[in-house]
Amino acid sequence: MTFRQGQKVKIYRRSEDESWEDYMEEFIGLHGIITDPDTSKNDPEALIEVSLDEKGTHRLPQDCLRVIGQ
Amino acid sequence: MTSHTCSVKSLHEQLRDTLGSGKLTHPWCRQKVSEIFDLVHDVSQGQAGPDHLDSILELAGQLTDRGPAADCRESGEFVTAFVEENREAFQSHISTHTCPSGHCPMLTPAPCQMACPAGIDVPSYVTLVGQGKYAEAVSVIRRDNPFPWVCGLVCTHPCEFMCVRGRMDSPIAIMDLKGFAAEKSMSARQYANPEPLPDNCRKVCIVGAGPGGLTAAYYLALRGYRVTVLEALPVAGGMMMVGIPRYRLPREVIDREVAMIESLGVELRLNTRFGKDVTLEALRAEGYEAFLLAIGTHGTYKLRIPGEEDLEGVLPAVPFLRRVSLGDHRMPGGRVAVVGGGNVAIDAARTSLRLGCEQVHILYRRTHAEMPAHHEEVVEAEEEGVQFSFLTIPKEIRGENGRVTGIVCVRAELSEPDSSGRRRPVPVEGSEHVIPADAVIPAIGQEVQSKGLEAFEQVDWTRRSTIRVDTVTMQTHQEGVFAVGDAVTGPATVVEAISGGKKAASAIHRYFEGIAQPALPAVPVRRRRLESFEVPGALKSDLKRPEMSLLGRERRRITFQQVRLGLTDQQAHDESRRCLRCDICIRCGKCVEICRDKMGIGALQLGYLDFDEPGPTDMRITAERCIACGACATNCPTGAMQITDEDGYRVLSLCGTVLNRLQLEYCEICGEVLGPARYHDYIMKRVRDISPEMGSRRVCLDCARSKSGGRHAEITPPRE
Repeated sequence: MTFRQGQKVKIYRRSEDESWEDYMEEFIGLHGIITDPDTSKNDPEALIEVSLDEKGTHRLPQDCLRVIGQ
Repeated sequence: MTSHTCSVKSLHEQLRDTLGSGKLTHPWCRQKVSEIFDLVHDVSQGQAGPDHLDSILELAGQLTDRGPAADCRESGEFVTAFVEENREAFQSHISTHTCPSGHCPMLTPAPCQMACPAGIDVPSYVTLVGQGKYAEAVSVIRRDNPFPWVCGLVCTHPCEFMCVRGRMDSPIAIMDLKGFAAEKSMSARQYANPEPLPDNCRKVCIVGAGPGGLTAAYYLALRGYRVTVLEALPVAGGMMMVGIPRYRLPREVIDREVAMIESLGVELRLNTRFGKDVTLEALRAEGYEAFLLAIGTHGTYKLRIPGEEDLEGVLPAVPFLRRVSLGDHRMPGGRVAVVGGGNVAIDAARTSLRLGCEQVHILYRRTHAEMPAHHEEVVEAEEEGVQFSFLTIPKEIRGENGRVTGIVCVRAELSEPDSSGRRRPVPVEGSEHVIPADAVIPAIGQEVQSKGLEAFEQVDWTRRSTIRVDTVTMQTHQEGVFAVGDAVTGPATVVEAISGGKKAASAIHRYFEGIAQPALPAVPVRRRRLESFEVPGALKSDLKRPEMSLLGRERRRITFQQVRLGLTDQQAHDESRRCLRCDICIRCGKCVEICRDKMGIGALQLGYLDFDEPGPTDMRITAERCIACGACATNCPTGAMQITDEDGYRVLSLCGTVLNRLQLEYCEICGEVLGPARYHDYIMKRVRDISPEMGSRRVCLDCARSKSGGRHAEITPPRE
């Protein structure tokens, strides 16, 4: 999935990426907006910036994200 | 943000239940528990002072020691144990006026503040801009970000994506207001540093003078640390200085804000590469006890195609932009081909145009829709004359006499989406063609240049070749060594580097002081609680996001002058008034529910309150339907919705936005305020059957009752 700036997403599961940290478990189920996708090369491995509703902005791996609307 | 429950709110509710249950029968106990409840209430409302916690414990101790009944003593013991166990949360509520979990409505940060990686108190500075207090606005911003001017020009502004006004029409121009305040403040010579704490004689060395390193330097210097920043380049600013072109971020802006940091006593050692010009041993010998690695991502990925390594005229984007930033304004060639679709590719292309290149082509392997560059950057590049070749894959760089003459490409088609949903470019057979070029600029990604960091033997690296840290504290696996910025995240944003720098400064301070490090990310702190502007609802709806003037297209093509020319005073003040003040209204929707479901009126159409599925918002409709009963205001948990009687009118306002204004009526008999006619009619319709005597007369319920009572006195009840 290529994520675009402004897309609404859901953190639907824990990531299997090494960058996933324990405190991120609390984010599962939250909705947010992609604020800074990979702006250099559309790399599915890149960490991308997501602003979560009421829970701050975090750089997360892409495998835990699912688009929920435009 | 850090937990699902709030201990302050929890104690508040437990005490309320205890008092309401009637369990405490002794009056003295009830009095003491009631006093504790009031103090906890203050904490949850942001009205507590530094002595509140001690007072709560003192009262609880009295209950325990002098309680005349067992339930009384148990209550005291419970409160003492609860507060001791959750002391940090209580102290945080008192000192920061912020509720990390969002359960204390008065202390919940606005979505824009929560979204800001640096946690800037956006509503406060936006309001201060509207009040014309630019220096105060800047000082609010600098509590969390020492680069308001830089971020006012180039921030990726995640705050604007979360801006609630965006669900109504367009988000507040938060970034532009920040830049406006910083420029005004600097121009008026009112941009000032806070007073630092006295020198604590402890030395910290920061490697890299980019946004992350300099932010950490700023906050450490304010705490009294002696900070030295090593920088390999001849200028400070890192990627802000040598990665972002001058037409987006003038050098003077960076210089002025770096100078403010330097003026706190931070030592900048330029032209000093760690591991080459200075070693870890030498720095330790100088007395540095903690290190922060903020080296950025100055390396570039290669295209890995023939001709890339051996032809003159192949200039990777990062060194090319750096060269230009440092003053080398020679044209790379008449015809330039930039390879890549990201922001750096766009920057390289627009820079090439400004250097005088006649033809600048961006070659990208996918389509316009898949370009990772920001949309507005692409649009501005197109306006300036950059040409785009989509679905174009470079295959070989060709040259003559050792110089580039062109780039061989093949056309591509996008495949059907694979299992991950990505459409991959597939080369079209026989589509090979040559694009003539005198220079080729690969811009397909950046990486950390780790050379020199071997000295930090225990620092661990990720599979992305970035430094592994605990992202809450920015601590590496080596004690006393921290890391921030792109070296940790990979190529990211200025504001994220700033956020990392702030976190690292706090963690380094805790490291020196032996204080336990946090396990969860910090929550943004509300810096001010400001009154909102009074704005008529119709105007609030009508105000539009300002369109900033841009430098003329012709001039943009030939100079590095700043493209975005800033807001005017009027634009900035109007934009400030457009803000919905989500630091006051927490969008719980109680007002809408009560008006619609309990009162049956439906005068509040505030569709923006819903994050996932925002509905239509119409602030004019309230004036048409609202009866000014005040049910919404009475049930508002934060006081965002207000109803007041002033100058013969009843006024309903939401965070200062006047939604309704109705003339008051007075009782014909006693002169008491009846409320507006609509409200009176609403009430009378409901009591008509009980009190039919008043007809169309405007009288209050008391007078109506006494009139009816008089009539009742004349009625003789039937005898049994």
